[in-house]
Amino acid sequence: MNWRAWQRMQDVVELGDRFLSYVDLGDGPPVVLLHGIPTWGYVWSGLAAGLATTNRVLVPDLLGYGFSDKRDVFDRSVGRQAEALDAWMDRLGLVDALVVGHDVGGGVAQHLAVRFPRRVGRLCLVDSICYDAWPLSLMSLLGTPSATRRLSPERVGRLLRLALRWKGFETAPPDGVVEGLLAPYATEVGLVSLVRDAVALDTNQTRELAPRLGHVSVPTLLLWGEEDALLPARYGERLAWDIPGARLVQVPDARHFVMWDAPHAVATELFRFMELEVPVGRVFEAGTARPRRVEAELLFDSDAPAPA
Amino acid sequence: MARVRQVSEREATGAVERVYHELRRTMRVTGVDVSLRTWAAFPRFFVAMWEALGPSVETRAFEESAQGLWARTLEATVGWEVLGAWNAADLGPSQRFHARGILELYEAMQPRVALMVAAVRLALRGEPVGRGGRSGTVERVERGALPRMAAMEWAPERPPDARLRALYSDIVKRVGHPGVPGEYRALACWPEYLEAVWSRLGPVMRDEAYARATEGLRAVMRQKARDLPFEVALSRQRVTSLGEDADAVLRLTDALEERLPGLLVNLALMVQDVPDILRQPIPGAARLVPDWVAAKELR
Repeated sequence: MNWRAWQRMQDVVELGDRFLSYVDLGDGPPVVLLHGIPTWGYVWSGLAAGLATTNRVLVPDLLGYGFSDKRDVFDRSVGRQAEALDAWMDRLGLVDALVVGHDVGGGVAQHLAVRFPRRVGRLCLVDSICYDAWPLSLMSLLGTPSATRRLSPERVGRLLRLALRWKGFETAPPDGVVEGLLAPYATEVGLVSLVRDAVALDTNQTRELAPRLGHVSVPTLLLWGEEDALLPARYGERLAWDIPGARLVQVPDARHFVMWDAPHAVATELFRFMELEVPVGRVFEAGTARPRRVEAELLFDSDAPAPA
Repeated sequence: MARVRQVSEREATGAVERVYHELRRTMRVTGVDVSLRTWAAFPRFFVAMWEALGPSVETRAFEESAQGLWARTLEATVGWEVLGAWNAADLGPSQRFHARGILELYEAMQPRVALMVAAVRLALRGEPVGRGGRSGTVERVERGALPRMAAMEWAPERPPDARLRALYSDIVKRVGHPGVPGEYRALACWPEYLEAVWSRLGPVMRDEAYARATEGLRAVMRQKARDLPFEVALSRQRVTSLGEDADAVLRLTDALEERLPGLLVNLALMVQDVPDILRQPIPGAARLVPDWVAAKELR
């Protein structure tokens, strides 16, 4: 699915002076899919329709991301995002949802599970930020206020395309996916918003949660691309130890964007986690060829320290 | 007319950056539009223009004049056929929300810009502009964009999509220089909607009634500009003395004034095509300013 078709499916909810765009597919127990940075809900476009055969699948763009409110007038920290999502879920009458969070979305999901537990019936963290594993060096570079002046949208677009292609995926995603993931940030407003999103990335927002992860009382699945060099799987192991009863599944031949590298494996694990049969014959969008590796990878290496 | 460079908000530095900030806050909008960005290519003129016009722009009288101009624009198009672009374009709910926000933003901004351009053009041509009010005698409007006003988000000036580039080129050919107007750059975020709008505006813009409406609006713009509350102290001599090319500034301002009535009419047709749009911008609250602040601010 191309990104414009995904955008066309988006609905919108006003939350006070802000607004949030989201895709709402299917019927059944609710599944909320959260994206990370520098992407938007479109990152789940390969899986959403398949999951919607048995569930109501909701895919919001976080505030400041995608086609939600991108004005330069609010705080985009993980905690605030969780508060906005709580208000959004309240508006839609969502409780006890399976909340699946990738990357920064995983941080938001952790906040939801700890601070707004009635929203979360099951929790799934996918190559998620946690502890002091983030922000990554590239995002820290982008996350300085002066970046809006130093960098043009075109230049940032080129840099991020390079980063996603060469570090994010084990297999080349379908044509147009990487461009689609970055499409909302190709304008000047988009660039400013992305920089503000990056400015809001702060280790403290997950560090403050760490002592409370033991209070997460819902079934938890941790899905990790075995080859994820941005947020390495060792962080998944640590989460599995801290969250009571959490199960870690490391997906082989997959990097950070595990939902594109191994969509069948991810879908299968999610259906199993929900105690549902995997729909027969369902095809999930996936990449194909192995991408070229280049020296430029060095630039995008995770600079996260090893867990203590 | 040669292409004039636009100074984007990202590129603006020094005094231009300061004026951009004051413009956004005073005009109560979320961005700086094309007309102002092209003026900013002449930075010393741009700062002088703002010093001359700023005191008027932040008054209730200016807001009412802009709303009066917009009301006249809507009146001028009463009884015209509805464009039908809104229903024709295949947009989702979120896309419609965004597009509606953009139309509301330009509905609030474009009449203000039109008044400013008309005032500057008259002043540069040596006509007296403004009524010579005194500081502290005119009610001012609070600063800052409305909390729900849409971001001024534009598709790139040189889009990778060849179809969109062709559309841009046709728009500039039809509406005139100095560049693709901001509202069209914003609507280009949904190319199919912009195409639907533009293909329907084409025949309308060739109509005699359209020419009459734009001429009538030009007269209204000039009249309202002459009635601004404070004198606009700007002239060709002043622009030359600042070291700017006064002829180039005048040519640019002429071109802007030439096309703005048409842009207003087009905007009115787009707005009337959308069923649930906010038809009038919410008026700003009064801003109470002590006399000594008013005197200091009135440069």
